[in-house]
Amino acid sequence: MDRHRLRNRFFAFFFSRFPSLTRRWVARQQLEDYGPPPWTPLAKPVSRCRVALVTTAGVHRRDDAPFDMADKDGDATYRVIPHDAAPETLCITHDYYDHRDADKDLNIVLPRDRLQELAQEHVIGEVAPFHYSFMGHIDGRHLPRLLADTAPAVARRLQREQVDAVVLTPA
Amino acid sequence: MGLIARTIEQHGIATVALSIQRELTEKTRPPRALFVRWPYGHPLGEPFNVAQQRWVLCDALRALEELQTPGTIIDLPYRWRRPGPWTEKRA
Repeated sequence: MDRHRLRNRFFAFFFSRFPSLTRRWVARQQLEDYGPPPWTPLAKPVSRCRVALVTTAGVHRRDDAPFDMADKDGDATYRVIPHDAAPETLCITHDYYDHRDADKDLNIVLPRDRLQELAQEHVIGEVAPFHYSFMGHIDGRHLPRLLADTAPAVARRLQREQVDAVVLTPA
Repeated sequence: MGLIARTIEQHGIATVALSIQRELTEKTRPPRALFVRWPYGHPLGEPFNVAQQRWVLCDALRALEELQTPGTIIDLPYRWRRPGPWTEKRA
């Protein structure tokens, strides 16, 4: 492991222990004003909706390319997570948070099992065939790429898969 | 993540976002959000705590049906009880 990644993991550990430091960092960030939130009313009751998950926890299939941890501005690409992928075929590449608990139980960042149970109980209509994963550290030149390219690509895939509602989970 | 939620919503799909950094959510303004006062890396709570994970997910689904005001952030009342290296109070 190179020094850059070790340094990031050190900070991830430190910021996980002291969330107030992260809050201060966020407060200093000069984010663009993206304007009022867009709005799409839910088209039908949740009990008839096809629901997908989108996470920024850095989850991916083990046989997929890992997220880029060498670029200090992060990685704006996404990975496809089949809903029925076995847990042992998935892993997390994300040096900016402590994911030891999520490594044990992926449901705390990508609640596939809970969603499946809710579908079986008819609380939701059905689970979508695919979920999507980003690596939440996206900054600098990757931010325009996320907004113009990769996030719309995921949105179009969700449209094609006739998803009615999306639950997003951070890390 | 708020920005990804906004993009999906702009494509005509309703979204609800969990938030673990309220300040960042306030800046990116996703359409619907629920803030959990929990350690980073734990938006659904503790590993293997099925009931807790389910509450949060059900709260999110309820918000999809009930929220009418774009940009609402619901503060979930759950407290972090498990002792561990993260137990600094997030006051």
